[in-house]
Amino acid sequence: MSLSAYFLRRLLLAVPLVIGISLVSFIIANLVPSDPMAANLGERAAADPEIVAAFRAKWGLDEPFFVQYFTYLRNLLSGDMGTSIRTRRPVADELLRYMPATVELATAGIIVALIVGVPLGVISAVWRNRPIDFVARIISLIGVSAPVFWLALVALLLLYLRLRILPGPGRLDAVIPPPPTVTGLYTIDALIAGQWRTLGNALAHLILPAVVLGAYSAGLITRITRSAMLDVLSMEYITTARSKGLRERTVILRHGLRNALLPVVTVIGLSYGNLLTGAVLTETIFSWGGIGRFAYDSARSLDFPSIMGVSMLIALVFVLTNLIVDMLYYILDPRIRL
Amino acid sequence: MRRLYGLLVVVSLLSLLAFGGAAAQEEKVLVVGLSEDYNGLDVHRAYEPGGSLIHKAVYDTLVTFPTDSVSEILPNLAESWTISDDGLVYTFTLRDDVVFSNGDPLTAEDVVFSFNRMKNLKDNPAFLADGIASVEAPDERTVVLTLAAPDPAILAKLVFDAFSVVNAEVVRAQGGTDAENASEVDTAELWFNDNSAGTGPYMVDFYEPTVQTVLVRNPNYWGEAPYFDRIIIRNMPEAATQKLALEAGDIHIAMDITADQLPSLEGNPNISVFSTQSDTLIFLLMNQNPEIGGPVSDPKVQLAVRYALDYEGLKLLGGAGTNTPAAMVPLGFAGALDASEALPRDLDKARSLLAEAGYPDGFTVDLRYPDFTYIGTQFSLVAQKVQADLAEVGITVNLVPEELQVSLEAYRGGQHGFGLWLWNPDYYDTLDYVEFLPGGVVGKRANWTDENADATILELRDKVKVETDPEVRNQLFREIQLYEQQSGPFAPLFQPGVHFAYSAALKGFNYNGQWRVDLSLLSF
Repeated sequence: MSLSAYFLRRLLLAVPLVIGISLVSFIIANLVPSDPMAANLGERAAADPEIVAAFRAKWGLDEPFFVQYFTYLRNLLSGDMGTSIRTRRPVADELLRYMPATVELATAGIIVALIVGVPLGVISAVWRNRPIDFVARIISLIGVSAPVFWLALVALLLLYLRLRILPGPGRLDAVIPPPPTVTGLYTIDALIAGQWRTLGNALAHLILPAVVLGAYSAGLITRITRSAMLDVLSMEYITTARSKGLRERTVILRHGLRNALLPVVTVIGLSYGNLLTGAVLTETIFSWGGIGRFAYDSARSLDFPSIMGVSMLIALVFVLTNLIVDMLYYILDPRIRL
Repeated sequence: MRRLYGLLVVVSLLSLLAFGGAAAQEEKVLVVGLSEDYNGLDVHRAYEPGGSLIHKAVYDTLVTFPTDSVSEILPNLAESWTISDDGLVYTFTLRDDVVFSNGDPLTAEDVVFSFNRMKNLKDNPAFLADGIASVEAPDERTVVLTLAAPDPAILAKLVFDAFSVVNAEVVRAQGGTDAENASEVDTAELWFNDNSAGTGPYMVDFYEPTVQTVLVRNPNYWGEAPYFDRIIIRNMPEAATQKLALEAGDIHIAMDITADQLPSLEGNPNISVFSTQSDTLIFLLMNQNPEIGGPVSDPKVQLAVRYALDYEGLKLLGGAGTNTPAAMVPLGFAGALDASEALPRDLDKARSLLAEAGYPDGFTVDLRYPDFTYIGTQFSLVAQKVQADLAEVGITVNLVPEELQVSLEAYRGGQHGFGLWLWNPDYYDTLDYVEFLPGGVVGKRANWTDENADATILELRDKVKVETDPEVRNQLFREIQLYEQQSGPFAPLFQPGVHFAYSAALKGFNYNGQWRVDLSLLSF
């Protein structure tokens, strides 16, 4: 099967998956023993039957469950994700507003995880049971087990408040206006607009949250890389390569790492999906207006259309990251093509 | 791989350079850290305290409060007013020098449009306009407000930001309307997020939800020009982040400091701290309906609970600045009993009351409450304290923490037998606490109605609702509170402290409960 046909088939399979997820999220959101009315109307408004009735009618909450669902689905298929009960703005606009901040953060996070995780994993496999392996394992243990909340506050306290080498919360300093929106990613937009100071500031603001967010994935990638490398290094073709008199560096990177990468790629894909969708704590502490925070606020106010929108988006993110991982497999491992 | 590391180093160096080299700004900028609690800036839908901070800087109301208290009504857009003898007709005379931010002069028509729009949008603050029968503009500078029934609190209500006056022409052009069906046809809501049409010292520049709200100086402001050219209100949901950013000098005011952060701020010479009692009243609800409340619906048991609580110990849970009101009117409101008049803890009395009620060995009851933290007060800790206090008189309390929205719904529906709740004032007049009486918003949640209440309290309630003479009102409120101490379905616990920290260089910081801080009066 050609790559494009494979890609197309996978993409088509995603459609029923997303619809299924929409149904499940809709059921769960409706099963919550609580009322969006209580969450969105003030004390007095909620006590006024006329306002309550108008609220229910406006948001279609007075319709039976399946009518609500099919209305939602019909609108969705015509490209309308509805309007947020909480913010009164179209959900699609909200997702477009918040997603870029999270994409930027998660991408920076996964880059940090890769830059730290892969070399550390290789080093600790090559020098197995030596002091450096021990240190690498401690680092990965801390990365995997340190609570995000704690790590974020300690990092801020040390690098922002005490040492003053990195900026604090937010995506930019207060006095720097955001660059003109093209992608919504401040780094890219600043680059496009040629605003170098904004670019530098946006990058500096990215470092701390990216490290904090990427810490868990870095630890995980270190571990997976280490064990995959250990497996590969005991293979006969490594011995063959060595006996051919190749340099150790070439043996490890070209023959070892390349083959050990397959499981690592899977973990990276899943991690990236997790970073894109699970950054609520990091976003809260770093005052990063991203999708995690939006999901949290929407859930708290039982804002059905937004909850649905976020659920669908998350579903899509996982479908896509899995797809990309599979494609990478396809490229990395010719045997899959057979 | 080596190339990648090289790139990283270059990128970090670049970014450090950019961060360290932030150019000196000629513009005077104030940066505020706030946990954003509003979702939009349409002033006629205003309801949240965070929004008040912004609306106060952008809009004006007919009358206002002093900057540091809510103790008296002062003129603002209205330079004077008269009240008819029957207390139904308020005639306001507008100042003649007020202009909107676009230069248009303020007219009485703008006031009429604003009040009607607020009322007809039927959004969260609309209830404040419930008693208003009509608003008219007989001439350009006169506004006549007619009430359906006398309302001694109407002027205090008019200070609420939802009664802000907007430029009718501008808002109409954006799809705004004051028509009766405004709740269905008004389309100006989103326009207000990035624009404003007020008479205040600032204008809304833009609002980036969950990120920041930016205000710029109004060049046409009719009053004294404010010090700052620009005010940036940054959303910082986490109090710990606000504190760090303040210490680092990135923000000038942290609006959501919690009591446990105070000790570590005290030694810092660059930071000033302001603590006061909040207007939030935390209380116990004991349902009057025996089927729902069980034993706690018994008036003797209710009194026993009030005697059994350790108020001094409870106070510690609210942190610095916490106070205990004597009844259901919080300290700081006109006519509130003095804290010294509060019921003391008297376990013997509580035990004998329980015996009289037929529970010599106590009983078991569920305490339902929202499991959350509100302005630094952890409800689960308060519930545990109540449990421990009541155990001393033989009442076994089972703690039933609930998710906020779920709990709120049951509480509003009058389904909580024994509950732990809070109440924030809707407007700054003691009349708001009539809601704790039979038939009031909170009274009904305890199933305390005209049918099951006694004549004394009903009579007091009906009198105080229409009394306008301050002396007589205070006397009536006094009698109501003394009644509440002895009977009724509530026990006041405490008013938690509220805390702000700001740069010590900042001048003009004052607090009042309505808008908290008037940002336009701050300077360096």
